[in-house]
Amino acid sequence: MTAKIEARAGESAAEGRDAGRREVLQYALRRFGVYLFTLWAAITVAFFVFRLVPGDPMNILLGNLTRAEGRQRDKAAEEALIAHYREIFGMDDPLPLQYVNYLRKAVLGGLDLGPSFVEYPAQTKDLVFRRMPWTIGIFTTSVLLAWLVGTVLGALIGWLQRSRLSQLAVVISTLLQITPVYLVALGLIIYVGYTWRILPAGGPYARHLQPEWTWEFISSLLTHAILPMLSNMIVIGAGFTLGMRALMISVLGEDYLTFARAKGLSPFTVLKDYAFRNALIPQVTALAIIVGATLNGTFIIEVLFQLPGLGTLFVQAMGLRDFNTMQAVVLFSIFAVLTLTLIVDLALPLLDPRIRRTA
Amino acid sequence: MPALLEIRGLSAGLQGRRSITQVVSHVDLDVQRGEILGVVGESGCGKSTLATAIMRLLVPPQVLQSGSMTLRLKDGKSYELLDLPEADLRQLRWRHLSYIPQGSMNSLNPVLRIERQMTDILIQHGLTREEALKRSIAALELVNLEPRLLDSYPHELSGGMRQRVIIAAAVSMRPALIVADELTTALDVVTQRQILQELAGIRDELGATILIITHDMGVVAQIADRVAVMYAGKVAELGTVNGIFESPLHPYSQGLIGSIPREGGQRVEGLPGEAPSPWNYPAGCRFHSRCPHVIDRCRAEAPALLPQGEGRWAACHLYEPEVLSNA
Repeated sequence: MTAKIEARAGESAAEGRDAGRREVLQYALRRFGVYLFTLWAAITVAFFVFRLVPGDPMNILLGNLTRAEGRQRDKAAEEALIAHYREIFGMDDPLPLQYVNYLRKAVLGGLDLGPSFVEYPAQTKDLVFRRMPWTIGIFTTSVLLAWLVGTVLGALIGWLQRSRLSQLAVVISTLLQITPVYLVALGLIIYVGYTWRILPAGGPYARHLQPEWTWEFISSLLTHAILPMLSNMIVIGAGFTLGMRALMISVLGEDYLTFARAKGLSPFTVLKDYAFRNALIPQVTALAIIVGATLNGTFIIEVLFQLPGLGTLFVQAMGLRDFNTMQAVVLFSIFAVLTLTLIVDLALPLLDPRIRRTA
Repeated sequence: MPALLEIRGLSAGLQGRRSITQVVSHVDLDVQRGEILGVVGESGCGKSTLATAIMRLLVPPQVLQSGSMTLRLKDGKSYELLDLPEADLRQLRWRHLSYIPQGSMNSLNPVLRIERQMTDILIQHGLTREEALKRSIAALELVNLEPRLLDSYPHELSGGMRQRVIIAAAVSMRPALIVADELTTALDVVTQRQILQELAGIRDELGATILIITHDMGVVAQIADRVAVMYAGKVAELGTVNGIFESPLHPYSQGLIGSIPREGGQRVEGLPGEAPSPWNYPAGCRFHSRCPHVIDRCRAEAPALLPQGEGRWAACHLYEPEVLSNA
């Protein structure tokens, strides 16, 4: 009799698991569809926004050039030059056609985002790819580290919410979180970099070195990375800490926590399986959102620490009105944020069984 | 035979900035082995605080002020619950002392499977995974649930099923005492009836003792052996279900029983006024402002809980010998 019940239970459980797997697959496909659509929409908006900016980049660029060389302005020659370059960059085509060409090249031409205006004929794609490792290395790693530290710290502060120490930690985190990232960076540069001379505060690595696989170069790379990463981590980490603390406190008030305590589970088990696990779900979503929102801060950090990342590339391109390059950088940021969000969306059902159903 | 749980002078309150607001005042209560004792009262009368205090689950700003609680187990061991360090208390919990919380709908962790939530505590108490699983399945069968539910998540279950899972979890270690706080409040009457029947069945089968906290006189009438009527943080009357329902002594009990709708279309007599909140409990007898039989003494002096015949106690000046002899 019992064996029968158990066999039946086994069968229906297997059925349930199959259905569960189908649901997860459907969820993943739907998320991916949304991802592709959002990516397309973002590219489109970026394209038209840059084209709608008043003023013709060629006009500004070549006008600047001739003025800079101090020549007498030869109107006819200048116009001929501008016309020539406009043709090269396909800027005389009607806007919809430009758009179609741009999309076609980007998708079918292996991410061909056009040449850079300033560094013609260098491809903007290559410029971005050359700078990307710096941005990912410094920025993405620091956000991930900040998330790890902030999540653990916030969980502990929330768990010990009534202790003096954790109230102090809340005050400190709040102060750090509202400090603009450039102030933190400047402070670190001034004190740690110049006054106390503990760590290098500028450039990607020591100036006399060449990129190569030697310990000297790698250690120089790492020491140069500490301050920019730290400035990013302090501000973002404080935000993650406060967020996780709030999540923990709201979870601690839940009925299932009282029940877990009533069961007599050890405090560690209650913390791990009942409080932390549940608070983690929104915290994972926050990671994706913060990654998107803090890209700007990273640009500032790259400029302040003179790192050859996407931020400095963008600032240079903006000064020279190199719209193709700016657009490529923006596209990359959009792509990175959307992809991270997609990864987080796909990871959430693993943490929260309720999402498998309702999504 | 000594009581399973002996509560003496238990007071608990809410810690304010300067002072403590007392919510439960000097409660004396004996829970006899094998009985179902119902604690009834209006919202805010302190019955849930009493349950939480018995479970030692008060969280700030709730504070325990004074009192003692002795749990006497069958094997002769007795524990002073209020003096027990947290680690020893954990050993006692679930094995001897279980809790069915108010708000059972949300008492299961939404992201863990039922199996994990039922077996984790069994495993912590030293059972193997197989034993824990077997016990959980047996406990689920006690409340008429199928073992395959172990594989589900809470959101896949109905409210009644979740409540049953909680009950099953609470009885899985065959505890001596189960404290059930408002266990049927969120359920429809049909499910409520079934669950109460299952709970009574569990008492008979496991020989457990159940302390059931409710605002619903119907629940008490259906399942309890004895009733403690609470008003404004104090026990107003204590007696058998039959005794109290047939001849309530305390005017508050009379009012409560008068406000139960009956067959035959009689008008329901409600109690006038509303229950005082702990911040302004009246002086003297806390019921005097709503009492139809109030005498001068009620305004000045709080009545003690005194025996009124076999197994019956009431805290009311009307039944004190000198008042009775004057009348």
